[in-house]
Amino acid sequence: MALGKGLYAKTMTGSLLGLEGESVVVEADLSPGLPSMTIVGLPDASVREARERIRTAVTNGGFSFPMKRITVNLSPADVKKEGTHFDLPIAICVMAASGAVPAETLKNCGFLGELSLEGNLIAIKGALPLAMGLQKQGIRDLVLPQGNAKEVSVLENLRIYPAGNLSEVEAHLAGTWPIERYLERPRKPTTGKRTDVVDFAAVAGQEGVKRALQIAAAAAHNILMVGPPGAGKTMMAKCLPGILPAMSYQESLEITKIYSIIGEVPEGRGLLWERPFRSPHHSVSAAALVGGGGRPKPGEVSLAHHGVLFLDELPEFRRNALEGLRQPMEDRQVSISRVSSALSFPAKFMLVAAMNPCPCGYLGDALRRCSCTDHQIKQYHSKISGPLLDRIDLCVEILPVGFSDLTGGSQVKPGIKNSEALRKEVEAARSIQIERYTKEGISCNAELSYELIKKYCSLDSAGTELLRTAFEKFGLSARGHQKILKVSRTIADLEGSGSIQSVHVAEALRYRNTLLRR
Amino acid sequence: MYQDMREGIVDMDSTDYPALLRFIKNPPKRLYYYGDLSLCQNLCLGIVGARKGSAYGKWAAFSIAKKAAEHGVAVVSGMAAGIDSAAHQGALDAEGKTIAVLGTGIDVCYPKGNRDLMETIKKRGLLLSEYPPGTPPIAFQFPQRNRIISGLSRALVVAEAGLSSGSLITAECAAEQGREVFAVPANINSEYGIGTNKLIQDGATPVVVLDDVLRGLGITGVCRQNGEFELLGEDEKKILKHLAANGELTADQLCRLTGATAAELGAILTILEMKGWIMTSMGKIYIAKAVF
Repeated sequence: MALGKGLYAKTMTGSLLGLEGESVVVEADLSPGLPSMTIVGLPDASVREARERIRTAVTNGGFSFPMKRITVNLSPADVKKEGTHFDLPIAICVMAASGAVPAETLKNCGFLGELSLEGNLIAIKGALPLAMGLQKQGIRDLVLPQGNAKEVSVLENLRIYPAGNLSEVEAHLAGTWPIERYLERPRKPTTGKRTDVVDFAAVAGQEGVKRALQIAAAAAHNILMVGPPGAGKTMMAKCLPGILPAMSYQESLEITKIYSIIGEVPEGRGLLWERPFRSPHHSVSAAALVGGGGRPKPGEVSLAHHGVLFLDELPEFRRNALEGLRQPMEDRQVSISRVSSALSFPAKFMLVAAMNPCPCGYLGDALRRCSCTDHQIKQYHSKISGPLLDRIDLCVEILPVGFSDLTGGSQVKPGIKNSEALRKEVEAARSIQIERYTKEGISCNAELSYELIKKYCSLDSAGTELLRTAFEKFGLSARGHQKILKVSRTIADLEGSGSIQSVHVAEALRYRNTLLRR
Repeated sequence: MYQDMREGIVDMDSTDYPALLRFIKNPPKRLYYYGDLSLCQNLCLGIVGARKGSAYGKWAAFSIAKKAAEHGVAVVSGMAAGIDSAAHQGALDAEGKTIAVLGTGIDVCYPKGNRDLMETIKKRGLLLSEYPPGTPPIAFQFPQRNRIISGLSRALVVAEAGLSSGSLITAECAAEQGREVFAVPANINSEYGIGTNKLIQDGATPVVVLDDVLRGLGITGVCRQNGEFELLGEDEKKILKHLAANGELTADQLCRLTGATAAELGAILTILEMKGWIMTSMGKIYIAKAVF
């Protein structure tokens, strides 16, 4: 088909399906007729509105907007197109079709960007996954807003041309003033140390809780802290990020994609290198916690992917929100099905939960009297369903530190490890697990399935005997038994032991759930 | 109702009516029972206390009941939540005898959470009530039945009581009936134990060691079992000595006192708990067996 100059042009952009970017071909055709612009290919409202932005941006940029009947097609035509990044590719395509820009320069080049009425390029959401989608199609050149350049620069084999406005893009394509390539590569911070988090050594006492949190961090075990108000549950949870192991490149990429599509990669940040720590308020809705909505958005569980989801005052959360957690905790992803597609957002998070032992908080306190009735206590405990409790591997009681312990020396006592030291131990344990499970498709002990537990968590005769006695004496369930084995495996890893010793099992038994009886 | 000998009615004029009960002020004219009625002829010890006991109070009730049951004494209580239940459990733990005097009909389970306990007592002990089957729990029936608990017993132990606890009424009944009243001393800063401490002030016999109660019942030649202590490891002994000196400790405090890491301590505590030397509750650790 002969394409006459000035009648047709096409270029490439992307579209987001959940977390993945798929490439989209943008075509523009100019025909004689009353001046109009129609966009087809299932554009949603923000894409349809692009017409007005484009027309104004092009004219304000000093170019003439073609007075023709313009048809723009976004292909594949049966996939819904959402987002504001279509402004630039459509504008450039229309300009190419009218001859303002050489059409051949558009081939094999991707364009992303929202246009302001002045013609400036505005940073978009989801730049990273969109760029990855284009890269998959073999695109090697990408023109995009300056605000998104650093985010996308983590990708290899991609030539990035950040532009400030439409005129710069035109000049680049025409060859009159090429845009300088963005050449900075993101550098991983040299230390994993987090400066925004309280150091474990700064917290007086609480050795038992610190140890439990370290075990949880070493293998991403879900953990529940129970204690009266003021004991320090929230504070300990906030210290936790300081001992989490550093992320791999792959993990950072996954998180950056998620944060990119909700627009929370700060401008000027490349990859997100720190594990996320999300602590939603207990009034959060089920949809906000798990994800979904009309235009599916990742929920808190996905925003905590490879990181920590901290639920403070666990029984205060809405029942349906807590129930909604079960599926992602089991599958490590959230599946959202819509009429046209099935999406999934990853959700491999570590749950840290905190609660009081009863509504007034003082059940079991020898000095203060608990003012709750039996019924109130039962109601309170029953807000946390059995299945949810089943997925929590560690339970630890946390009590307020006594006054003498608080004031007994502000210096770090010898032998008390700081967060840096604890983190190194956690990372050593985590590397052992990554190595052990390379062929199994998991990366830490918390993910062990029933079969894998049988394979990797075998005990010697002393350990088996200990566990059997514990089973009878403490009334463990089968699920409890599995949890003890997983936790023993993690303790053994922390101690650098290849096999699980009975002393590891004995310690693991301390973290069984004794607080919320069913 | 009369299907088997295990359940039935016993009236005051019957020879099976509990002897001690006959001579109290206002004895029940009729008793409904389920279980082994002959337990009433046994030497009985009443153990009562608050519904909301602390772990210490429950431990005291459990341990006294267990010791008594080990020496053939039948433990009598009201099957209420808290101290009463701990007492019944202690007796059952020693494969001993226990009698539950209910404030409802013997076919009604109150509180509901004690269903399993009630079934066990039906099988291995005795349920008693002066109210006909089907009687629901009504407030005034509970203080009323307390006179039967003390009436059946040779002595009464109040394990733990706050200022307004119903078990203080039982103590009064016991005193009126001429029974010896024991009270387990509590920490003076504990709201749960003010009642029991006051009882001691008013003349009840304090329980200094568990054996005091047995001596009060006239049982001598009590067996001691602290030979086991010598068989423990050094670390285990150190921990038990600290607990014995301090009454109750948190894991944190034990770490500091012994210099052990949380990990090392955790393993030892599990072993001690399994061997029955300690018990833990809500983050506190208590000693469970006499160390001296």
